[in-house]
Amino acid sequence: MENKLCIEFKNITLGYKKPGETISILKNINLSFFKGDLIGIVGLNGVGKSTLIKSLSGLLPVLKGEILIDEKPISNYNLNELAKKIAIVLTEKIGGFNLTAFDVVSAGQMPYTNSFNKLSNHNLEIIDKAISICGIAEHQNKLLHELSDGLFQKTIIAKALAQQTPIMLLDEPSAFLDFASKHDLFLLLKKLTEEQQKCVLVSSHDLDLILKYCTKLLVISNTGIELISVSEAKTNKAFHEIGGGFI
Amino acid sequence: MQENTGIKFLVLIVLLFIAGYLSLFFAGSESITVSELTLNNFIFWQIRFPKTLTAILAGSTLSAAGLILQIIFRNPLAGPYVLGISSGASLMVSISILAGGSLNLLSNFFIGKSFIVVSAIAGSVLVTTLILAISKKVNSSVILLLIGLMISQICGALQAGLEYFSDATSLKSFVTWGMGSLANTTNFDLLIYLPIALVCLLGLLFFIKPLNALLLGENYSQNIGVNFNSSRFYLILISSVLTGLTTAFCGPIAFVGIAVPILSRMIFKSSKQQLHLASCLLLGSIILLFSDTLANTLIKNISLPINMLTTFIGAPLVIYLMFKNKSW
Repeated sequence: MENKLCIEFKNITLGYKKPGETISILKNINLSFFKGDLIGIVGLNGVGKSTLIKSLSGLLPVLKGEILIDEKPISNYNLNELAKKIAIVLTEKIGGFNLTAFDVVSAGQMPYTNSFNKLSNHNLEIIDKAISICGIAEHQNKLLHELSDGLFQKTIIAKALAQQTPIMLLDEPSAFLDFASKHDLFLLLKKLTEEQQKCVLVSSHDLDLILKYCTKLLVISNTGIELISVSEAKTNKAFHEIGGGFI
Repeated sequence: MQENTGIKFLVLIVLLFIAGYLSLFFAGSESITVSELTLNNFIFWQIRFPKTLTAILAGSTLSAAGLILQIIFRNPLAGPYVLGISSGASLMVSISILAGGSLNLLSNFFIGKSFIVVSAIAGSVLVTTLILAISKKVNSSVILLLIGLMISQICGALQAGLEYFSDATSLKSFVTWGMGSLANTTNFDLLIYLPIALVCLLGLLFFIKPLNALLLGENYSQNIGVNFNSSRFYLILISSVLTGLTTAFCGPIAFVGIAVPILSRMIFKSSKQQLHLASCLLLGSIILLFSDTLANTLIKNISLPINMLTTFIGAPLVIYLMFKNKSW
């Protein structure tokens, strides 16, 4: 079966604007991502991993070129349409205000509810399914600050899942997790790409996990950005530099 | 859980009626009974009725404003009074009373009142925008609170300066108004106060989704389809109008805006903001009605300043929360 094209970068320059100056971080990128891909984004700190994720999710406008999602430019989507295409999992902490794990997951269905945010039975089914796939059913009524880091991360992933998007972007989701939770997390991502044919991009410094679970690697270095298969990683110079000779 | 919410709301509604009854019939030097109430009872229709309605309006508007501010700043310790927004509005009111007096604007009732209301709203918009700009630089909710207190000190100092230069009659009205009072609002004032408050509160119904999404922060709310910047802009505008409006008529009323949303989250263990909005309107009204009744009945023939009572309710709650270090 041929995998379907999902995301296309056409001659993109990424970066951000400060008052008076424009800082471009990654220049002239041409890339294609397909459904069913689990792509590990690797690179040293400050090389532009988060910038890439923010630009791809539409939170940060690209400086040049056009990102296509399902063959339509990202700038042609309105916010609610984009919310049904791309779901993000970031490193920022949220909590307080009586927010429970269930509340966060149900926020994933917000693009599909009416303006009073009333959850229909159909909405609730999808939320419950996302909760059970991520294995947090018994913790769903806990407040966010009562969750361990691993459970919190799974809650945010369940939120992303409840968004029913073909694309999922995760920014260093394994950063604060213990050994077992890290493997748990990547197994979950692998399951999502295989069973639901999602296109998942995940940035991480856990190179061993990326090599073990991902189908492709997006290697970002000062010399540029390249998309390689896992088997190519062993001979890739930029990847070895990121590994610092320890891989 | 669903049934429980219903019962709690029912209790609140009953409490609202009791508090309203007490405030209407007992909150003053004379008690009135329902049987002797006539259509031309001066005390009831010209004093008690506007005061009771003002208590309900002030309680609802300040609590809703507090709820909005706590969500926008994602800080359970935010509120119009503690962030200095009420003081900003007060300062602008003092300036407009002085300037309006010399410009002879205040002789016409509606022009004069509108001028004062618009100035108060401008004052609260200014301080809210300032606090928002500062909040981007500081991460700690407690430091934000301290900055708010400093802003309110600065506004207070400026106001004291103005008072120094004003004549004896306006001085007295400044000082009593600065203490916060529900009794200065007449039935004619309510013709301005009530419709604006209703429009703002009803307008909030269009922001149920953003209010819920904003709890997750800027990035996540954008990602689930809510325009963060425009929602925040309109919400700040609404909360500023609510605060400015009430401050223009009642003076700065302390701690209701911060305490009521916190109480609401303690009573209803929910994160649904549509529910908290409704309960804040009820709770805010109840608290101000009871405060008004207490202020007028605790000591015979003396009406205590309303801020004394609201501070006694609100300040300990804030201190308790700071010690508990748990985000409600």
